[in-house]
Amino acid sequence: MKIGFIGLGIMGRAMVLNLIKGGHTVTVWARRAESMQPLLDAGAGAAEGPAGAAQGNEIVISMVADAPDVAEVMRAVAAAAEPGLVAIDMSTIAPAAARRIGEELAAVGIDFLDAPVSGGEVGAIAGTLSIMVGGSEAAFAKARPAFECMGKNVVHVGACGAGQVTKAANQIVTGMGVLAVAEAFAFAAKNGVDRSKVREALLGGFAYSKILENHGQRMLNRNFKPGFKSWMHEKDLNIVMQTAHELGLCLPGSAATAQMFNAMVGSGMGEEDSIAVLKLLERLSGQE
Amino acid sequence: MKVGFIGLGAMGRPMAGHLQKAGHQLFVWARRLASVGDLAATLCPTPAELGRCCEVVFTVVTSSADVEALALGRDGLIEGMAPGSVLIDCSTIAPESAREIAARLGEKGIALLDAPVSGGVQGAIDATLAIMVGGEAGVLERVRPLLECLGQRIVHIGPNGAGQVAKACNQMIMVAAIQAAAEAMRLAAAAGVDCAKVQLALAGGSAASRVLDVMGERMVKRDFSAGIEARLHHKDFGLVLEAGRKSGVPMPLTAAVGQQLNALMAQGWGRDDTASLLRVLEVR
Repeated sequence: MKIGFIGLGIMGRAMVLNLIKGGHTVTVWARRAESMQPLLDAGAGAAEGPAGAAQGNEIVISMVADAPDVAEVMRAVAAAAEPGLVAIDMSTIAPAAARRIGEELAAVGIDFLDAPVSGGEVGAIAGTLSIMVGGSEAAFAKARPAFECMGKNVVHVGACGAGQVTKAANQIVTGMGVLAVAEAFAFAAKNGVDRSKVREALLGGFAYSKILENHGQRMLNRNFKPGFKSWMHEKDLNIVMQTAHELGLCLPGSAATAQMFNAMVGSGMGEEDSIAVLKLLERLSGQE
Repeated sequence: MKVGFIGLGAMGRPMAGHLQKAGHQLFVWARRLASVGDLAATLCPTPAELGRCCEVVFTVVTSSADVEALALGRDGLIEGMAPGSVLIDCSTIAPESAREIAARLGEKGIALLDAPVSGGVQGAIDATLAIMVGGEAGVLERVRPLLECLGQRIVHIGPNGAGQVAKACNQMIMVAAIQAAAEAMRLAAAAGVDCAKVQLALAGGSAASRVLDVMGERMVKRDFSAGIEARLHHKDFGLVLEAGRKSGVPMPLTAAVGQQLNALMAQGWGRDDTASLLRVLEVR
């Protein structure tokens, strides 16, 4: 399939490599030219701007930071698109923003899928991302072969916006999950108990989770390199909290967690992995 | 002085009345004519037209978008107000919106004061509002006599936006105090203790506060009819938490209280008083 790809950050880069490996013809564009080069070396073509990434392709994918970026590149895509193009955004943005973009594209005859991912850099490299998709059945069927190169667990959740709702739900669980593991470790350490043993024991019981296993191990190694940057998790939790505010939805745990991530960004840890919330807890309790 | 007034709601109406009683010539524009009632004022067809007639214009409306539309939108104040005139916005809006509106008006030589108020409907009626002002100190001095018709404590906080920051701080403290009062009342009731007596006793001690007086009494009497509609506090909490986020300042208590307000909205009590936070604690 001929695929255009916009946005070549930690995630986008790895996803493009998997599309190429899957035999697709990929043209790429990124705002920073230097992030394009490694992919051109790997066999991708270079597009001139986001419009160029749409031209002549069957699908175009964006993987950028936030809703205004998505809206901007999709406007360029809309202006250049040919009939039958499927536009896919795999960034994490607010469900309401995804619905708005979907409506704008539908108005000019372009099918839009919101298809955010979970699984982080590791999942993107291994091609094992979870991909949660909102949009029409037909567009999903068309894009499916591309999704299957990038992810393992590809679920068509519902109409436009449903993918982002699912991702927001995912960020609630992972945000609180990371905080829960960090709090358990802080608790163990303050009580003079070896946290690696605590992790080992918990892995066999009901507290088992991928977060306890993977993120927990990185906390033990004090490896705070991203991974998933905490400012991005903060951004995602803000999507959750704003949506909850608009809907009149009480989410006390998410609210508390969002404030911890807010504090991380405020104290200069935004570029570190979200597991650095452990350091914040340790500072608050004088455990450094 | 020729004074314009837009936003004749529960707060705005008594405020406009005070200005008129003080001898100022009042011009109004209202989306709903009915809200003008028996106020002796000249009715203007558009905000722009009102702006043309007045040296000073007050706005007391709900959201950032409302103020932006009134000030900068089609037939907005900016089209009518003369250089040297002053817009005093008493609404509670985002600090950055206040700054943006000030910049746009400033290009035309119109001054903005962001002047949100605290004290509720009673404070508006009694002309005892606290007024926190952002903008140029010189502009404030020019219009201070007008503000003195409305309130007793008028504080120049800083440049444009600073008044709204102060108001955000006010809302955080006040609604958190309402939540604290609600939890105390709920605990007292659940323990089989007379809430009225608890409230009476606390009013004489270290926990005494205006919120405990006013909201505590509403809770004791289970009078949830709106003084200030809870939906407005809910709106304000959106602004406050966004400001905290932009500054990277953790506000765990404010965030928790915000969720209780979300629950209040979900229960359909947005047009009741914020004392309804007590009822949220009673949901089973």
